[in-house]
Amino acid sequence: MYVLKTEALTKVYGKGQNKVTALENAELSIEEGSFAAIIGTSGSGKSTLLHMMGGLDRPTSGKVYVENKDIFSLKDEELTIFRRRKIGFVFQSFNLVPTLNVYENIVFPIQLDGSDVDDKFVSEVISTLGLENMKNRLPNQLSGGQQQRVAIARALASKPAIVLADEPTGNLDSKTSQDVLGLLKVTGQKFSQTIVMITHNEAIAQMADRIIRIEDGHIVKGGAENE
Amino acid sequence: MNKVKNKAVIRRLAFREFRKSGKMNCIVIFSVILTCVMFAALASVGGALINGFQNESMRAVGAKSMAGFKFCMEEDYEKIRSDRSVTGVTYRIIVGTVINDELKDLNVELNHAGSDAEAKDSFCFPETGRLPESEDEIAVSTLMLDRLGLPYETGVKVPVVLNIDGEIGEHEFTLCGFWKGDPVAPAQQAWVSREFVNKNVPKPQTSFYDQLGKDSGVKYAGYMQVSFDFRSSLDIAGKTEKLAERLYGNKENAPYFGVNPAYQTSNADSDSVTGYLMFTLLIFAAGYLIIYNIFRINISVNIRSYGLLKTIGTTSKQIRHMVRTEALIYSLIGIPFGLGGGVFLGRALMKFIAVTLNIGSADNYTVSSDILLPVCAAAAAFTFATVLISCSGPCRAAGNVSPIEALRYNETSINIKKEQKKTGKTTPLSLALSNLARNRKKGMVVVLSLSLSLIILNSVSVLLNTFSFEDQIRGEITGDFNVVRKVMHNSAESFSDELQKINPEILESLRNTEGISEMETVYGSEIFLELSGEAEKKMDALKEKYAASDQSGIFETIENHGAFGTLYGITDGLGKELVLSDGEFDEQKWKTGRYAIVTTGYLELRGTETDEDVLYRPGDTVTFTAKDQNTGKTEKREYEVMAVGSLPETLDKQSSFYFDSTVIIPETEYFDLTENRKALSVMINAGEGKYDEVSEKLSDIIAPEPGIYLKSIESLRAEYEDFTRMIKIVGGSLSAILGLIGILNFVNSTVTGIVSRKRELAVMNAVGMTGKQLSSMLMWEGICYAVLTAAVSVLLGTPLCFLLVNFIAGESFSDSFTLTPVFVCVPVLIILSAVIPALAYRILCRESVVERLREN
Repeated sequence: MYVLKTEALTKVYGKGQNKVTALENAELSIEEGSFAAIIGTSGSGKSTLLHMMGGLDRPTSGKVYVENKDIFSLKDEELTIFRRRKIGFVFQSFNLVPTLNVYENIVFPIQLDGSDVDDKFVSEVISTLGLENMKNRLPNQLSGGQQQRVAIARALASKPAIVLADEPTGNLDSKTSQDVLGLLKVTGQKFSQTIVMITHNEAIAQMADRIIRIEDGHIVKGGAENE
Repeated sequence: MNKVKNKAVIRRLAFREFRKSGKMNCIVIFSVILTCVMFAALASVGGALINGFQNESMRAVGAKSMAGFKFCMEEDYEKIRSDRSVTGVTYRIIVGTVINDELKDLNVELNHAGSDAEAKDSFCFPETGRLPESEDEIAVSTLMLDRLGLPYETGVKVPVVLNIDGEIGEHEFTLCGFWKGDPVAPAQQAWVSREFVNKNVPKPQTSFYDQLGKDSGVKYAGYMQVSFDFRSSLDIAGKTEKLAERLYGNKENAPYFGVNPAYQTSNADSDSVTGYLMFTLLIFAAGYLIIYNIFRINISVNIRSYGLLKTIGTTSKQIRHMVRTEALIYSLIGIPFGLGGGVFLGRALMKFIAVTLNIGSADNYTVSSDILLPVCAAAAAFTFATVLISCSGPCRAAGNVSPIEALRYNETSINIKKEQKKTGKTTPLSLALSNLARNRKKGMVVVLSLSLSLIILNSVSVLLNTFSFEDQIRGEITGDFNVVRKVMHNSAESFSDELQKINPEILESLRNTEGISEMETVYGSEIFLELSGEAEKKMDALKEKYAASDQSGIFETIENHGAFGTLYGITDGLGKELVLSDGEFDEQKWKTGRYAIVTTGYLELRGTETDEDVLYRPGDTVTFTAKDQNTGKTEKREYEVMAVGSLPETLDKQSSFYFDSTVIIPETEYFDLTENRKALSVMINAGEGKYDEVSEKLSDIIAPEPGIYLKSIESLRAEYEDFTRMIKIVGGSLSAILGLIGILNFVNSTVTGIVSRKRELAVMNAVGMTGKQLSSMLMWEGICYAVLTAAVSVLLGTPLCFLLVNFIAGESFSDSFTLTPVFVCVPVLIILSAVIPALAYRILCRESVVERLREN
């Protein structure tokens, strides 16, 4: 069953002479529970694709379905609420809220939703990611790898339909990158979580179950699940 | 270290940085302008006041020159003139005094002015015509022409009775020039020509000082008064002394010399200096708060680029220099505008202050062009100092930035000391609170800046509450109208100690004025108390207690001459107006004529006397000797003391003696003692609805009379209203400017705070915080500022307000304390502080989440 599906997704920036087509007719489907990597060089359109898959940016044309819901039929506020319930993000630069401690950062999207925190599940996520001893620390007291683990926990805590990771190891050294990616993969499997990660690093992409290659705004390989 | 030529590149960088941040520049420049406006307005008003006081005292002294030598011979004048340290040496030759009968109440000196400058320096230069040239010419003031009943026309004949060293002679002069007489001057000048002097005044052959100590009487005519200036007004006394020593070997051989009192700094009393300092500090604080905050924000905004500059090899010193150059550019642009606005505001305020406070002649108190330069220089210097001091901290911060820290900089990275944060529920409010805590210094500056204006506003309104018209006029007027004698000092109008100035005919006209409902009269004359028995004992005790500290030798005077006092005779209706401290006024007893109201008091005690210090208590007998001024007959009288008390100040003799004793008896008893029917003061009440009519009629009766004047409750009310209006305007504009600075500071720090957190807010949005939730978080942050401001204004403002108002009003004002202005302003502040962040966020949202996420 597909958790996420895109239909003829196109994004054009600028007009006239400045017109840049970042993405053109991207067709992509992601199976539930899979770990996919989108790989491409800088400027290939992979971030644009991820942003639209996460509902952060609206396409010029085309559609994105998450759990069969056309997410761009939603208004901005609805889309934000949909995002916090169904999509977990892991950013390259961690992007934790500096004034919230580790635990608060993890449950932040759940609390924004006014929902009750599933303490058992969150504790499990926290222990899987090895964050038990730093729950009360503030982000600036953590190392980069630790911060990214918190970001992964945050993405998982609300049991989203899909976790989108945008170069999650871009700001980490190679040893830490391996650890973090390992954890991402392990937790994904443990909690049967669908994960889509973008990267420009071939070695990192190899850790995924499936590799989707993008070049100059076109998906050149791996767009369809069984390709 | 090698010196390298890098100034140009640093300057270029500073200029580029400056051009990069357009909106921020506007805010900084605007705040520099506001600070400069306040300093310039303050300096203008201060300068005009000091200049005005100086002008006023110069007029009162009758001279502009810095110093002078008295009673000189011609050779002295030449000697002084040849000294290099002095400038503008002028002289006048003493002739005599003008003693025409018509000039009895005007002190007129007749002199020869050595030059136009001499006449100008004495404020006696003809505005029409010129100084005398031929023997029969004279130039005089309009005051003298008025007294002589002559028209303001050159060519008219002026009869003068002249006293030249005791020799009286009559002369007829032709008027060759006149000027507007100044009643404040100690004497009116009349100028004659050198020719007149040569023919009528013997040229002194010996020094003036040789005559002293001899029996033959002192001659003044023919001697010169020499005046001069130094190049600067610093230490005039010292320079004059040195000049005397230089010219005459030692001070003792020199003619008398003196410094113009107008140049003595004692004019500025310590209270106004303190007040001025307080205001300067206040403005400085307000200016500092905003400029400091803006620079700090500016630097935190630019911190990444400073980090980058450092990475590529810019030194701390160069970065500091860059920031300082930016400060210089802001000052260069802001200060000229600020000076213009400030001088304009200062002029308007000064005009207003001079008119409403009725200080001297308003002409003296203007922001004239000659004080403009020092005023502008001072304001510019203060503003520049404020800018430099304000930017020095941020400048250091910019210089000390470490490249790595700068690249990672977000507001939280500074000063988070706590290791752990307790977990709580995350709501927009809780987020707002933790955001406030992340940059306490910035928050504090904004809150202080906003509070400052609220505190001033509150203090002004408490100050206004403190004044009530009734309190203000207590001691100014009793009833609707008072007719009282003029008491003037240091004036050409000769002042006699005569208590009775209101003639029986005037009393009659007053009494017959249509529309009055009541008229009460006070008569007064001098008496000597006969102290005996209990009173004498008390006096001895008083002497024992205070003789050691008695500065004015009052006990000695009483011992030698008797206890001096004032006897008042009053009409019965005034009984209810008396100010009693012990006993009661009994009208029935009063009418028997056997009773008196008595006060005795040693003035040094100033109302702190105990029972032992008061010589008479109700039931005692007071004995005094009165002298009839008309017949010279003396008579001893005895009265029983009905109560201890006195006349309302407004109706008494308007002057006091160190040992002040007054005895008040009924009018009938007073008339029995003396034939003098002239009155000291009169109180009049107008019938209902007749006030204006009565006012006009009374003015007509009183205006032509010298030595007395009419006070009316309405004119006092007008004065009072002018006074309170002035406080409202000055206080209002001060709080408005401070408020503007506060709000500007708030807008600036809120907007930049939001902009610098652009990415963080985008992340929150990305992980699911809706725009509404974000907006409400930011609004809560603003509201917290407003609430903190209210709290600080109340907590800090209350004691400050007490201090400030106590200082200005100089009295206790606990009844009038209010916090209403704070409570009125707080809702407005809350609305503003909620709306501004919400607007700022909306503007931020013009960029998409993705764009904001990419922001670095």
